[in-house]
Amino acid sequence: MSLDTPPVAPEVPADRRARARRVGRGALFLVMIGVAVVMLYPFWVMIVDSLKSENQFLSGHGFSWASWRTLTSTIPIAQEVVSSTIICAVSILLILLVGLPAGFAFAKLRFRASGVIFLAIVSAMMVPLQAILMPEFVNITRLGLTGGYTGAVLVYAALGTPFSVFLFATYFRGVPDELIEAGIVDGLGYVGALWRLVVPIAIPAIATVTVLQFIQIWDDLLVGLLFIQNTSERPITVGLAVLAAGRTTSIPALMAGSLVSALPAMIVYLIFQRYLVKGLTMGIDR
Amino acid sequence: MTGTTVGARAPRLTLRRRRQLAGALFALPAVALVAGLIAVPIGQAIYYSFTQWDGLTSTWIGPSTWTQAFHNPNLWTALENNAWLLLAVPFALGLPLLIAMLLHQRVIGWKIFRSIYFLPTAISWVVLGLVAERFFAFQGTLNSLLHFFGLTHVNTNMLGYESTALSALGITFVFTMIGTNTMLFLTGLATLDTSLEEAARIDGAGRWRIFRHITLPHLSRFIQLAFVMTVIALFSALFSLIFVMTGGGPGYATTTMEFLIYQTGFAQGDFGTAALYGLILFVLTAIVGIVQLRLIGSDE
Repeated sequence: MSLDTPPVAPEVPADRRARARRVGRGALFLVMIGVAVVMLYPFWVMIVDSLKSENQFLSGHGFSWASWRTLTSTIPIAQEVVSSTIICAVSILLILLVGLPAGFAFAKLRFRASGVIFLAIVSAMMVPLQAILMPEFVNITRLGLTGGYTGAVLVYAALGTPFSVFLFATYFRGVPDELIEAGIVDGLGYVGALWRLVVPIAIPAIATVTVLQFIQIWDDLLVGLLFIQNTSERPITVGLAVLAAGRTTSIPALMAGSLVSALPAMIVYLIFQRYLVKGLTMGIDR
Repeated sequence: MTGTTVGARAPRLTLRRRRQLAGALFALPAVALVAGLIAVPIGQAIYYSFTQWDGLTSTWIGPSTWTQAFHNPNLWTALENNAWLLLAVPFALGLPLLIAMLLHQRVIGWKIFRSIYFLPTAISWVVLGLVAERFFAFQGTLNSLLHFFGLTHVNTNMLGYESTALSALGITFVFTMIGTNTMLFLTGLATLDTSLEEAARIDGAGRWRIFRHITLPHLSRFIQLAFVMTVIALFSALFSLIFVMTGGGPGYATTTMEFLIYQTGFAQGDFGTAALYGLILFVLTAIVGIVQLRLIGSDE
């Protein structure tokens, strides 16, 4: 320190402080790059390992497009992505259709015992699927809903509804009563007011629910694994997990498939990041 | 006089009743969905926990199923594994807090760093589990790193041994939680009034004191929320990781409560015991959930 400090330094302490700050900032920047390397590690593994043939992977050297070229024959990836998309879309639609009116009702159209019922629904947020897994599985199977997507969609919708009701109710509480009163008095009726007035106001909340649920459902394993019987209707996470657990599939192919499965959620995430943050801190950040 | 009051009141009453009716009807689908697929199964689980049940036929056995379950060493192993994994929680909170503080310094490019740090949050834990398996594998990154730092004779295989597999799972869990918790803390820091810190700094308070007496108290609610979310994830979201990384093994070394439920029900076909285990998990999360509800409630 004393070596590279010029002798004039004591007279200009501001200069020294500025330099110390610059050094501090530089160190901080390096630490941040270090963290970035750790956080990007999964992507690096997926990319590097997918760009190898099976032999190259075992030897640890080389580069090849083989696993990408044969991806569709190793993993039914197109069909799995389609399944994931259908399941996500229908589940989210159901969650919105059910959650938005309910959230609106609990916030603005309070009825007898609505407070208690709201509390009960919010509490359901805390029930993990595993806790009710056995009865749920038997019920859905008995109703014959494991054949297509219906069973999985219903379970996802039920699991996603409590949070969406909570989020919509919190959101609508911030909307002035007069806005809705006016619409109802104008003769729109309740359904009309909901559709023409409430839904347009609620776009940010709808976006938040959609983004959160998309990532949740797209990334989930358990529901898809148990509530979809036909292997030809499997979503992508289930396809990957089952292959991985079987331990017979080549890792390069598995990594290529993983990358494909990660892309949609990453894109949604990068575009709608702020909605995600908003949803996450809903209830304490107001 | 009285006539006009009654006349004015009558339609208003019906308006109120119509509003209540509309409210009840709007809430009905959500209530039905949650009741049918969450509340009813809880009741069924209670009933089935007293029976011998293979999914098709159930025979009432009574409370002895519970005493029997508590004598099963696997249950205790799973509970013990969950307890050990709780040691990961301080790391799953501390590291994100540190990272959020770094991001909050807003050095050049901090927004890009923020996006990078949050990116793994979007990926399925199935995929992260696959990557973690590559990391811990015999020919994986961990050993390459150790060799790079001169420990050429060290060869780990953490997922392969009962003594280390749970630690590997815990480390992976910490990694998967970093994005979400950093996001929470950063949001918390953004609501912090910077003039308060500035004033403390002018008064001569050191960095640690500012952090300890201003930043940390301000973040307390965010830390509470992150804590609850992390513990709940620990109890109910590890399934994907365990399924791809270890399958619960070696032995029962990485079998947590949620995985035990799955194994007991679907590998052994013992639906009754699995339902019972589900109730135990339910009670565990309910305890955490009560904390969470009080958090939400204190806000109203």
